[in-house]
Amino acid sequence: MTMYMTATLKELTRKRVFLVTLILTLIFIVLFAFGVRELTGPSGLTPISSAERLLNSMVMLVLGLFFSQFLAAFFVLFTTMGTVTGEQESGLLLAVAARPIPRWKLYLAKWLGHAVWIAAYSAVLFVAVVWTVRSQTGIPLLMDEVLRSFGLFLWMPLLLLSLTMLGSVYLPMLGNGICSALLYGFALFSGLIEGVASYGDSHPAVGKFVLLTGLILPTDSVYRRSLYELVGGGDWAGLAISDMGPFSIASVPSNAFLLYSVLYAAVLLLLGCRAFSRKDL
Amino acid sequence: MMMIDTEQLTKTYNGRGGCRGITLQVPQGCIFGLLGPNGAGKSTFVKMLAGLHRPDSGRAAVLGHPLGRAEARRKLGYLPELFRFQDWLTPEEVLRFHGRLGGLSSKDARSSAFRSRIREVLELVGLSEAADRRVGGFSKGMQQRLGLAAALLLEPELVILDEPASALDPVGRYEIRSLLKKLRNKGVTVFLNTHLLEDVEELCDEAAFLYGGELLAAGPLHKLLGSAQDGSAGGMGWRFRLGGWLPESLAEVRDAAGDELSSALSLVESDPNGNALLSARVADREQAGYLVSVFVRSGLTLYEAGPETNSLEDWFIRMAQSRQGGAPQ
Repeated sequence: MTMYMTATLKELTRKRVFLVTLILTLIFIVLFAFGVRELTGPSGLTPISSAERLLNSMVMLVLGLFFSQFLAAFFVLFTTMGTVTGEQESGLLLAVAARPIPRWKLYLAKWLGHAVWIAAYSAVLFVAVVWTVRSQTGIPLLMDEVLRSFGLFLWMPLLLLSLTMLGSVYLPMLGNGICSALLYGFALFSGLIEGVASYGDSHPAVGKFVLLTGLILPTDSVYRRSLYELVGGGDWAGLAISDMGPFSIASVPSNAFLLYSVLYAAVLLLLGCRAFSRKDL
Repeated sequence: MMMIDTEQLTKTYNGRGGCRGITLQVPQGCIFGLLGPNGAGKSTFVKMLAGLHRPDSGRAAVLGHPLGRAEARRKLGYLPELFRFQDWLTPEEVLRFHGRLGGLSSKDARSSAFRSRIREVLELVGLSEAADRRVGGFSKGMQQRLGLAAALLLEPELVILDEPASALDPVGRYEIRSLLKKLRNKGVTVFLNTHLLEDVEELCDEAAFLYGGELLAAGPLHKLLGSAQDGSAGGMGWRFRLGGWLPESLAEVRDAAGDELSSALSLVESDPNGNALLSARVADREQAGYLVSVFVRSGLTLYEAGPETNSLEDWFIRMAQSRQGGAPQ
């Protein structure tokens, strides 16, 4: 397993994936920090109230994390959409798969190799956004809640990784990238729809639609639970629910749903191992 | 022990292509050539041996272990046909990675013994000076040399090479041929899938011919060539290059040759300048000599006469043409 972690790191660094990603991420963080300071800092003309500052801090926190999960998802998609068929088409996999290592181990090693660096990148994003908002606005955050949120924030891209890798066993690289991106976008879209629908009397069909898309790809549900954990579970989250439009946390995925997401990833990994073991290369 | 032993091994793609019912044995310590035109099913067969394809039916053992098992691949070196190594690694890193995949621990893969083994195989394939360069800058021939180094890295007992010299220049091909001979002398069995018939002719002890997914012939090379020379009609083939040839000459020489030899004569080619090439299946040299006298008596000029040499290329073409015509072998 460690050899694949090392090999993946070498690939990401030597192909300059990490370099480009980190430079652009740094630019995002700097701009984000500037935006946070402008929106939540003392204004020269009209002083803002504490409640207003808190709301602005939370808006920036939510927006920052929303964009971060977007970046993490795209990092997953672009680095892993050709894991199996892409490497098969290029001929990279032929000499590797002929070695005396069971295919399922190879698949899991590849998953783990990607997972470590995806989690590392997601961690950088999360810490950078939360630290920026916390240091500039003093938003009250509790460590245990931040840690729970952090864990779930890292879990979201790993779910997407499991789906993308399974897709890469069956679909050509580009087809898999498009399919995974559409599914991810679909889940994201359903979460935004729910946020918008939470303003008025929500139609019951919206809830069912969100649940269904969450079952197909639970990334957005896990992200929303991560956000919910971060803002303290709801003691003052009422502000967010009423004022954040599409980014509102209209419904919080339960612990049972989180368990479902774990089973979801486990089943995808099992299916991937099985399909890869049977695949003609 | 048979290094490769297959029985009715079949793999098709939705009932088409691939190979069907291949029963083949490859003995230890030989160089075995797999021949056949494009689409004959050679790569499918090789990929099954390397554990990359799952057979539909049949049975096979590689190095005494059932196909696809890790044990069967532990002492197997494989060079795929259309492959690539990680562009972003150096040859040393590629080989260390393959060492780990082959079962070496992290510590063993970093040991000085393995480092010297890496240097040894890079030297063997002529890549020692490029050991620190990234593979991305390698030519196709250099990639092929590196593929060969990876196949030989863990000192395999059986090496399966799928078109090992296709991207190499003449010097490179000569070096690879020398290397394969050295391997055979060390007792390593080499299974060679190649289009380069001169390689097979020079290197292989045994060969098999695949056509349309079926095995048409297999065995020691000299026997395969000998059986083709003996031919199904018996006797030996002779060729005569003649001048002064006219369209009616064939009928004339057939009449003059008599009943016994008239049907043995056939026109291979002729041109409007009066040149012709005839072939004849004769029982012995005396009959060939008699035909020479017939040609001279018929007013033809004899430029060249001699027994047909049965090169591998002739054999290959004859096998393929006989199959295209549907004639049984």
